[in-house]
Parts: sequence; structure tokens; C-alpha cells
Amino acid sequence: MANRKIIVKKELKSLMFEKTLVLAIIVQLFIASFSSLLVIGLASFFDPSALDRYNTPRSNVGIVGTGELKQFIEKGHIRPFYYDNLSSAVTGFYNNEIDAIIVIPKEDANGSGIIQIMTYLPKSDIKGTFAMLQLKKPLENYEAYAQDLRSSRLGFEPVRLIVDRSPKKTSTYFEFIYGILIPLLVFTPVFISGGMIIDMLTEEYERKTLDLLLVSPLSFSEILDGKMITAIIIVPAQGFLWLLLVTLNGVIVNNIGLLLLLSGIVAAIVVILGAIIAVRFKKRMVSQYLYSLVLIMLFLVGYLFANSPFNLATRLSAGSVGAEVLVYFGVYAAVALGLYVGVKRIGMRG
Amino acid sequence: MSIINIMMRELFTISKWELKRTRSTISPKIRFFSIFILILIGTASFFAVQSGLHINDNIYKVVVTDGSLAGVIGSDSKFEVFVADEERARYLFQHDNFDILIIGKKIYYQNTEKSISAFDSLDKAVKRYNEASLMTYNDLNNTFPVWITIDNLAREQAFISPSMNKLPEMETSLETQSSTGSQGDQISSTQTAGIGDAGTPGIRTADNAHVPSLEEITGGNQISAISEQTLSTPSHLSPPIPFKSVVLSFLFIFPIYFIAQFFSSSIMEERIKRKGELLLVSPVSSTQIVLGKLLPYLLGSIALVALMTFRLGGSPWIILAVLPISLMYLSTSFLGAIIARSFKELSFVLIFLSVFLSGYIFFPAMFSNVHAISIISPMTLVVRLLENETVTLSDYLFSTIPFYLVSILIFIFGIFIYREEDLFTQKTISGKLLDSIQEFIKRVRVPLFSLSIVLIPIAFSIQMMLIVLMFNFPIRIGIVFFIVVAAFIEELVKSVGIYTVFSRKMSDATTGNALKFGILSGLGFFAGEKLLLLVVIASISSSAFGSVMGAGLLIFPLLLHVTSTTVASLGIRYSGSRYYFACVILASVVHAAYNLYLVRSVILG
Repeated sequence: MANRKIIVKKELKSLMFEKTLVLAIIVQLFIASFSSLLVIGLASFFDPSALDRYNTPRSNVGIVGTGELKQFIEKGHIRPFYYDNLSSAVTGFYNNEIDAIIVIPKEDANGSGIIQIMTYLPKSDIKGTFAMLQLKKPLENYEAYAQDLRSSRLGFEPVRLIVDRSPKKTSTYFEFIYGILIPLLVFTPVFISGGMIIDMLTEEYERKTLDLLLVSPLSFSEILDGKMITAIIIVPAQGFLWLLLVTLNGVIVNNIGLLLLLSGIVAAIVVILGAIIAVRFKKRMVSQYLYSLVLIMLFLVGYLFANSPFNLATRLSAGSVGAEVLVYFGVYAAVALGLYVGVKRIGMRG
Repeated sequence: MSIINIMMRELFTISKWELKRTRSTISPKIRFFSIFILILIGTASFFAVQSGLHINDNIYKVVVTDGSLAGVIGSDSKFEVFVADEERARYLFQHDNFDILIIGKKIYYQNTEKSISAFDSLDKAVKRYNEASLMTYNDLNNTFPVWITIDNLAREQAFISPSMNKLPEMETSLETQSSTGSQGDQISSTQTAGIGDAGTPGIRTADNAHVPSLEEITGGNQISAISEQTLSTPSHLSPPIPFKSVVLSFLFIFPIYFIAQFFSSSIMEERIKRKGELLLVSPVSSTQIVLGKLLPYLLGSIALVALMTFRLGGSPWIILAVLPISLMYLSTSFLGAIIARSFKELSFVLIFLSVFLSGYIFFPAMFSNVHAISIISPMTLVVRLLENETVTLSDYLFSTIPFYLVSILIFIFGIFIYREEDLFTQKTISGKLLDSIQEFIKRVRVPLFSLSIVLIPIAFSIQMMLIVLMFNFPIRIGIVFFIVVAAFIEELVKSVGIYTVFSRKMSDATTGNALKFGILSGLGFFAGEKLLLLVVIASISSSAFGSVMGAGLLIFPLLLHVTSTTVASLGIRYSGSRYYFACVILASVVHAAYNLYLVRSVILG
């Protein structure tokens, strides 16, 4: 055990000296700041209707024609302009008087034909996006109105739930923060550590310094353990830092202890996998390439089923589950143990 | 001519060696193994497309008293649904961490963020359920009576004064369109809400717009992560974010990323094993060695991108749009491999650079139909080409020239330190970077003047990135943020040469020298900036951001650049090179103050 400690200390020291860990933390800070700076951008990518929640000025919308839809649109968060025909509206559009044109259809909600609404928006222009989002609400109301009128003809009874009062605020970013951001922050150090163990091992092979180390009283197995322990223990430490930052930003993170334990277990799996690849192939070029491939696969698989580490991190941090998920932790720990036996066998063969 | 021939032959020889080496490293076993993993990845992505990503599974807990609701709500995997009698349900809701309680048809929620989010999702889930039931009626007129067609018209963005000359063209297209009224192509171009068609904007009247049949809608009815919307009813209206194309464009980055990784590994391996030493003492120049090594990787990445473009059935122009991205990844990998001291350091330098690069490339691309500024990323061109939209030559130049320039620059500075004393020693990263700047100063005439010009593309690219970031802030805060950070970057770029000269003792640290260097360096930046302005940023120069980046009167920016750089230069002279960063910050304050004054009307409203 003492020998392993020596290796751990040596590796940690070199991480500090080369400032690699510092760089790693800057990388993660960069990712984190990106995510929070661009939370609007990303979240709107995740849920486009989120853009609507910002206090945007009313868009100037040109309305062509008359009909029942007109009343719905006038109630929306827009500023209406009226035109007699499409071509005068288009002129207004190109003179920047209006940012959207909507043509009121002739068909009635009570009629039987499809109601076709024609809309013109500026291409590749944020104004068009805002106008569209502001038009969406009244159009939806109109659709619900028409749908109600017509679907009753079919005898369709929609599922309807009632509520005394709808919540005042909305929670646009809840699912984004817990579903994407927190798992990303908890597991990014894992991916980095997996790459790091490969660098630690292949460098010894390629510089031929491993032979020197083996002349000392250290065994290969101890060196391997020491390096792997280093790569694994820095993961929960970094995870803690991120969760602390997120908490300081006002996001409530539940079950921090369990989250860090989970990150440690997953780190063990990924680091041992990295070690297996490095011990087996010995060259950095090949090992890193194969590791990246394996990582992509694990990443995809991680999103494929409930109770995957990603999903567990989401539910733990959101407080949907608690200690009952330790069962799954046990399963993942068993996987790590199996891999550990594997890496030792390969290591013995050399 | 013959000298060039010989040089080229030497270069190709190095390329051949490099290719042979890489090939011998990748044994058949490795090839087999990677194909195996690739197949697994393919299978996993197939399942991901089929069943969707289980990101938020079981995140909300709901308890209902009406058993029939369990199926409705359970249709969304976000919910874990429990059925209980009223008393038990109330108890669970109060004591057992449940987000939603439904007694009969009545919803109760807690006043927490999670519970409110659950309420929103519940609302969506029920709507989706009702929609799916309506679908089964096979009667579009009575189930989904309202359809919306969106046509996106190209228009000059508002900060440029409205132009009248577009009008006649519009009228004619109005006439021709209504008389011919094409129907065939409309399904693809207008049924998915928002994504406009490729050619000239055609106006279609409501009469001849095509309504898709139910088969057309339900044909691709799998609800999955990357399927685009199929119902174009108002409730399915969403901003024109080209989800599918952005995801597809991600695919192009993977091979480039791997090839860049091979390239950097190969160079680093040579350094660690000291294999490259012999080549360095041979008569072959370091430029030939580097280009010779680069060639196979560059060609390989082009070939892979071409293959993928062909497989995806995209426009061949995609290859040309991805080329600057490949060059950028290869050049940064090259520099990383030269400056890193160990494998670990190399990994971190590369992760850092590729995270930054990916951000620069992808964030704008996500908004390729939303905002014109997205054009700063070449990936936007790829997304547009995948969407069958047109890309003009000026679009191409605007988004790729900075990439080409920066990557060529990185290669040049890297080649400067592709020599024994930097490759095979344990110098620090900053030490090596200073080495390359020192080499530049030694080799070039009027070095400080030229260095400022040469570094402009890098400053420009970082500033472009800042503009993208800035759009996420309220406009006034955004402008202030941009001005301050942009000033810091410009000052850093202008003074790094002066710092090198003083700290490496290339000339005496006298006040006269400090003044001279400050003026030269400031002048250089000014000249380069004006040149750049003429070439690329004409299209945004009339906006507020453009004026910050250097449009406007000529004499004041000139004075500004010279003054602020001289401030930094004198700072280094008097406080010593240890306080370099403090001097840059001081210079940035001067610089930012001037720019803030310039745009005061925009900031103060």
C-alpha cells in the first residue's frame, strides 16, 4: 500500500507541476461558463419556445384581409398594421415597416375545409423569430378553438385536466439544468481522467522509463494501481468544485454525496478501461484513438436507458430519487471490479 | 525551377515516410477493433434514433386517483406515475416528495421549481396524447383544421437603411408565381414549419398551397430525438433551428478530430523518442518537414469529408466549407504537439483548444436560420448547404478567411520553433510561444509593425466569438462587455512583441525605445485593421459593433492604437516585464474608455 501511495503522490505532484490539472480546470470552467453564458442559446436549442419568455418588444405584424382569426391575432403580444392586399403588405415589409405578414384565410372555423394560414417572415433574422413566437400564442388559441368546434363532430373527447390557478412563473431551464448541464459537469472530469491514465501509462512505455521504475522495489501492479487511483480520486474532487459553483449560482443540487460517489464509480470504470487500452496497445496514438471511440460509444449508450449514470445523475441532483438508487451503484461498482480483474490479468502478461 | 522540384521531392518523401509510419502503427488487430466499436456506435445511434434519448426519464413523480390517467401521463417517460386512493395520494403528495397530485381530473402542484416544471411537462404530455388520439381518426379537416405555411423572404437586416431597389423584383416574382403556382416542391420546402426554401422567395397564395395528406404526415411518425416536425399546425410552430442539419454537421467534425489527434500524436511521439533529431540536422528545411508531415493528414481529412459528403448526398461545396475547419484543427494540434512537455500536457492543450474551436464552430451554426451573425462560422455554410440553401462567394470569404489566415499563421509560428532547442527540451509553454515570437522579430524587417498586423486575424477571430457570446446578453450590457474584452485582446496582441523584445533583452529598455516600439506596434495594428475592414467586415461595419471594431474616423483610431500601446510599452519599461499583465490591463482601460465614449449614444439609449 505504501508503494502505491508513493506513486499517487508522484503523479499528483507532476499534475500540479505541469499545471495540467490547472489547464483541465480551465477547460471545464470554459465549458461551464459557455453553458451558463449560452444557457439561453442552448436551452432554446433544446426547447425553442423558451425564447418567447424574454420580454421582447411587440413585433410589427401586417395583417391582410378580414375574418375571425383577426380578433385572435389582435389579442396577441404584437402591434397590428392593416393592409388591403398582399402586395402593399410586401412593400411595407421591404420598407421595414413590418416584420411579418399574415394572410387571414377565407375558410371559417365552423366550415369543413382546411384553414390555410399564410405567413411571411424575414429570412435569417432574429426579428422574424420573435414575430413568429409572438404570433404562435394567438394562432394556437385559434387552433384550439377550431379544433374544439370540429372534433366534437367526430365525438372526440380530449383528456382534460383542471387546475385552480396556473403557476405564475415558468421553469424553462429546469430540465436543461438537471438533464444536461449537471450530468455534463459531473462526468466531464471522468472523460478527462480516462484520457489522462492513457497519457500517464503510454508516456512511461514510450520514454522507456517504466523499466527504470521496475528496477526499484515497485511492482508493475503497484505502479498501475497508483496511477489509476490518482486518475480516479481527482474526479469527485473536481465534481465537488462544479457542484459548488452551480450551487453558488442559485441552483439547488440534491444528494451531492451520492452524486460524487456515482462520479467516482463511473470514473473507476472509464479509467480502468483506459488503462486496459493503454497496457494492451502501449502507444499513445493508437490508445487515445481507441479510447475516444470507446468513449463515444459509452456516451451514446449512457443516454439509451433509464438508470444509466447520466439519468441517475439527473434524478439524484433534481431530488427525484435518493439512497434507493444505491442498487444501481452496486451494479456499476461490480462492472468496475470486473474490469479491474481484467486489467490486472493483462498487466501480468505484460 | 529545379530547386523547387528538389524541395517538393524531399517534401513528398517525408510525406511517404509519415504515411508508412502511421500505417505500420495501425495493425490489422487495431483496425478490426475500431471497426467493431464503430459498428457498436452505429447500433447505439440507431437505437437512439428509434427510441429517443432517455435524458429526463422518471424525473417527475406523479400520483393519480384515476387509474385511466396513469396511461395518459405514463406515455411520457419523464413521469413516474403511481395510482392510489385519495387519502393515500394526499399523504404521498405531502410527505413523499411527489411533484404532482391529481385527484379526479384536478391537478395540485407544489410551489417548487421542480413541481412547476412538472406541471409544464404534464400540460405538454396531455396535449401530445390528445393529438395522437386525434391522429387515429384519419380525418384531417376535422382533427387538425388549421395549417400554417411560412415563407421566409430574404431582406436586408434592419441596421442598414431600407433599400427600395428590391421592390420591382418582388412584384414580378409575385406575378409569375401566382400564374404558374408550382405545387410539387412545396411539401419539402414549406410543410416543416419555418424552414424556407432555397431559391428566390416565391409568394404563394393560400389557394394553391398544398395540404399534405395524413399518410404524408404519419409516414415518418416516429417520435425521436432528431426527427423534424411533421405537423405544421400553429402548436407545432417553432423557430427555424435546423436541428437535423446541425446534428449532421457534427458528423463532419469526428473524422477531422481523429486525424488531428493522429497528427499531434505522431509529432509528439517523435519528440519523446527523439526520432526526429536526425531529420533536423539533414539539409531538409523545417518547413519542408512540417509540410511533408502535414500533407498525408490534410489529404486524408479531405478524402474522408468527401466520402461523407458523398454518402450523405450533400453538395460537393461542403468539402470546400469544411477545409478551413480541418486546417484549423490540424494547425492547433501541430502547435499543441510542439509546445507540450508531456502527453498529459498535450491532451489538455488539445482539449482546451478543441473545446474553444468547437464552440466557435457550432454555436453560431445552431442559429444559422435565426441570425445573420451565424455566418462567422464555416459550419453555418455546411448547415446551409445541407439545407439546400445557397451560399454566396462573399459568405464563403467572410466566414473562412479568418480560419485560413489563423491556421496558416499558427503553422508559421510553429515552424519557427520546429528546431532542436525547442523540440527536445523541457521549456514551458509560454517560453516556447515567446521563442516563436522572438524568431519572428529576428527574421522580419520592421518586426513590431508587422507582428501587430500578422496577429490581427487571431484577435479578429476571438472578437467574432465575443460577438456571438454578446448576443446572449441584453444589448447594452453586451456592448460594454464586448468593448472591454475586445480592448484587452487588442492590447495583448499589440504589446506581446514589445514584451518579448524587453524580456528577452533584444534591445535596451530605454524610454526612447519604449516610445518607438509603442508607436510602431500601434501603427501596425491600425494599418492592418483598416486593411481588414476593407476586405471582410464591410457587411457589419455599419452596425454599432462595427464602429467599435474600428470603423469611423481615421485619425482618432490611429491616435488611440498608438497611445494605448505606448502606455503598455512604457509600463513594461518602467515596471519591468514581470508586471506585463498589469500594463496590458492599464492599456485596455485607456482603449476601452475611448471606445465606450464613441458608442455612448447606443449604451445610454
